[in-house]
Amino acid sequence: MTIAPRWRKVLRDIGEAPFRTSLAVLAMAAGVFGLGAILTASAILSREVPKSYAGTHPASATLLVDGVDDALVTLARKVPGVGDAEARSVIRGRLRVGEDEWVPLILFVVRDFDDVRLDRFTREAGAWPPADDEVLLERTSLGVARAGIGEIVTVSTADAGERRLRVAGSVHAPGLAPAWMDHVVSGFVTWRSVMRGAAEAESAAIRVVVTGDRLDEAHIRGVAGRVRNALEAQGRSGIRIDVPPPGRHPHADQMDAFLFLLGAFGLLACALSALLVANMIHALLIEQVRQVGVMKAIGATTGQIAALYLGQVALLGGLALAAGIPLGTAAGRGYASFSATILNATITSDAVPLRVIAAQIAIGLALPLAVALGPVFLASRLSIRQAFTQDLAGRSFGSSAFDRGLARIRGLPRPLILSIRSAFHRRGRLALTVGTLAAGGAVFVSALNISGAWSRAVAEEFDARRYDVDVRLSKPAPSELFAKEVAALPEVERFESWPDISAAIAGADGEAGFRLSLVGVERDSRTFEPVLLAGRWLGGDDAATVVVNQGLMARAPALRVGGDIVLIVKGRKVAWPIVGVAKELDPAPIAYAPSRAVLEAAGLPIGTARSLRVVTRRHDSGGQLSVSRDLERLFRRAGVGVLAIQPLLDRRKAIDDHLVIIRSALVFASALVLLVGALGMTSALTLNVLERTREIGVLGAIGAAPRTIARNVVFEGMLMGALSWCAALALAVPVTWILGTVAGRIFIRSPLAFYMSPGAAAVWLALVIVLSGFSSFYPAWRAGRLAVREALAYE
Amino acid sequence: MLEGEAAVIGLLGVTKTYDTPAGAFSALRGIDLEIRSGEFVAIVGKSGSGKSTLLNMVGGIDSPTSGAVTVGGTAIQSLPPSRLAGWRGRTVGIVFQFFQLLPTLTVAENVMLPMDFCGAIPSRRRLKRALDLLGRVDVADQADKLPSSLSGGQQQRVAIARAMANDPPVILADEPTGNLDTPTGAAIFRLFGELAAGGRTVVVVTHEREAASAVDRTVTIVDGCVA
Repeated sequence: MTIAPRWRKVLRDIGEAPFRTSLAVLAMAAGVFGLGAILTASAILSREVPKSYAGTHPASATLLVDGVDDALVTLARKVPGVGDAEARSVIRGRLRVGEDEWVPLILFVVRDFDDVRLDRFTREAGAWPPADDEVLLERTSLGVARAGIGEIVTVSTADAGERRLRVAGSVHAPGLAPAWMDHVVSGFVTWRSVMRGAAEAESAAIRVVVTGDRLDEAHIRGVAGRVRNALEAQGRSGIRIDVPPPGRHPHADQMDAFLFLLGAFGLLACALSALLVANMIHALLIEQVRQVGVMKAIGATTGQIAALYLGQVALLGGLALAAGIPLGTAAGRGYASFSATILNATITSDAVPLRVIAAQIAIGLALPLAVALGPVFLASRLSIRQAFTQDLAGRSFGSSAFDRGLARIRGLPRPLILSIRSAFHRRGRLALTVGTLAAGGAVFVSALNISGAWSRAVAEEFDARRYDVDVRLSKPAPSELFAKEVAALPEVERFESWPDISAAIAGADGEAGFRLSLVGVERDSRTFEPVLLAGRWLGGDDAATVVVNQGLMARAPALRVGGDIVLIVKGRKVAWPIVGVAKELDPAPIAYAPSRAVLEAAGLPIGTARSLRVVTRRHDSGGQLSVSRDLERLFRRAGVGVLAIQPLLDRRKAIDDHLVIIRSALVFASALVLLVGALGMTSALTLNVLERTREIGVLGAIGAAPRTIARNVVFEGMLMGALSWCAALALAVPVTWILGTVAGRIFIRSPLAFYMSPGAAAVWLALVIVLSGFSSFYPAWRAGRLAVREALAYE
Repeated sequence: MLEGEAAVIGLLGVTKTYDTPAGAFSALRGIDLEIRSGEFVAIVGKSGSGKSTLLNMVGGIDSPTSGAVTVGGTAIQSLPPSRLAGWRGRTVGIVFQFFQLLPTLTVAENVMLPMDFCGAIPSRRRLKRALDLLGRVDVADQADKLPSSLSGGQQQRVAIARAMANDPPVILADEPTGNLDTPTGAAIFRLFGELAAGGRTVVVVTHEREAASAVDRTVTIVDGCVA
């Protein structure tokens, strides 16, 4: 096939400058790679995680009953609207991981391992089903339990005391959060397990899945209500209904926040890449201006010239796609696999939807062409005379007040003054280069700002908790049983004992709605004072008032400070005024009220405790662990059942672990931006030197040493870096605010507090300096090596 | 000009004024000039006298501030920009002082490029025509080389071949020997003479005094006016 000379010119122009071509292709490929990686990861995760969760056949509602048998389950299955039902009781206890060191344990009692209908789990390794003195641990629990398959573990429940169970195998339960994240071990035991029989520790439950719209919470509550009525008709009472958010994976909020951040940074990386491409095309056309003049002089039309350069851009875009798509797909798959592990989901297919490839092709070709349109249009419309005189700026240096201001700069070495004036002479070009770097810097700084804002939110959460060890008793107990002994522990400074009970919010129809924790706060408590989003904290004179947390506000948005909250406590309705809204990271709904009011509402005697907040003399990890062990021994001696003893630093780690996925997204985005930013700086400086080749020749001709010329180039790079740093900080303000607001609303139900991290600004400044130096190296070396004759002859 | 013979190039009252930071600058002031078909004309004058501007007016590279320019019966200013490039490709061949060959195309490809843009020559005949033209300017043996491997004189010969690519009736050359040594420059002028003898109208802007002996007519420009 014969290729027309003009298209041969395009091909040879591309091949003739391999370095510049590589930079341009890399710039475009970086955008395609970034977008491809993010779209691929998002597409796989948003398909596979819900599929993995839906594959468990999650229960629509759980009915907590005083006991469950097959007849009751059969009855539930017959209720209209019930698709299926299964008994799945839960035993709460602890598992020993070291000497006086325990972790919380949840054991699910399975009716028939060969007929698991709801909240399914699959066998991973070892035996199936386990024997009655064995347990199957969820795969992510093995590490937290510090146990392997075949090993014996000690578990403890309130009434059954300590028992030894053999770990018979592991299972995968995608509906459960990873154990390392919640720091809770999950296991599965048989219907006749040796662990059963401890009535206090076991919550008997029937799980049901509804027919019809499984995402309609009102419909689910309606069906669950009918099941409760049917059970009550059989003489059962005190039945509680628990409806989790329909169709939502336990970590759906994290995934939403994560996907939002990925998407946002993907778009920002694309915009950055577009700026970079615009920069390069602009420079390419400046270099080709004389050739544009020649081609016009020999008969080329404006349209032909435009087609020629747009064709060149499309060809480079094609090369970038060839490199960017496979790399982006591989990175996206890897990242999706990593994220799925964090979400305890299994990816059964990492197929990339065609729309993702199509989007990459469209962006990879359309974006460079779109940003090239302006410069190509301008270049192709140049008159021949303009092209030959290279009169592109349309003005000479000194024609504006800004130029004259620059000309008044004194006291600097003349070569540096030349660098500054040269940089500002082509201000459009300078703006494009600095803008590209600033955009990269803004994205990088914003990523670190958001990460910093999360850290500050966690710190704020724990600043509000002025205690070191949290003890949760297995059932309410008089504090006089242990108060003196706890206070006498040498490492304990003081403690407070609080009641907390389960309550339900009363719906408009008077029926019990979702469940929440009603926590009793000791009068004049010094261990807890949360940050308030509205209203005030509980005061010493308050009788029956409530502070709700933002997790509760998110579930019941109609609540407001000054209004009442109607709760159902032990089957009795109470209406208490809301005096404040507490800011908490935990999305679980909690209402705080004075201890006495909570105890009275629950019909418990004054002095009853369900949890202890213990302040230790040493607040470090060692001090917290030591007191935890002392408390363990103390409660065992006192015969008081304990559900969990948790050092606060462990709890903090659990919250930090929940943020792993978001932090990883931010690190991923930062690395991507750094790559594109480095490319931008190198290409911008290289092209600047190319543009000024003749000027460099003149400098050499009048006596500038190669080292001086090279130093000027490096200085110019530093100048651009410094300017871009200032612009990046300014640009990071709105970007950080938008990302923090949206990500916070998704994950913790309220905007993240705006935070500009001084560390982020300093890191970017250091990086810009390093990048400037590194990126200036090649152009500086090239400038220094240019022979005077060669430079002067350059056109 | 001989009475009754048609002028292929005509300038009537042509002025050109540029706005510069130092104020308005008149490069041409009321030029009246006619050049007939097959004539070989040298335009001479000092640097800055306006001779290159005059050539740009004839080639449609620049437009007059006032007055009229007619080439081959076409009033250039009447052509819309969209048609000007095609007209130029078919009607005028331009030769530059610095040759201006495209560095990434071979010699033959450079000559074929105007044919490619204008489409006047069928594509199957373009290579043969390019080689013929290169043969006429004695560089056929360089056809497959890149311009950078040719001497200045050879590059200018290629540029002349390129100017003839679409068989235009008018050849314009702006200081075509300014970058060549004297013997090579003389050879280039002989080549232009042969083209004029073959019926083409050749207009050359030059500093060279010796050009006068090679051309049919010399037009001297002084401060934007025909002397």
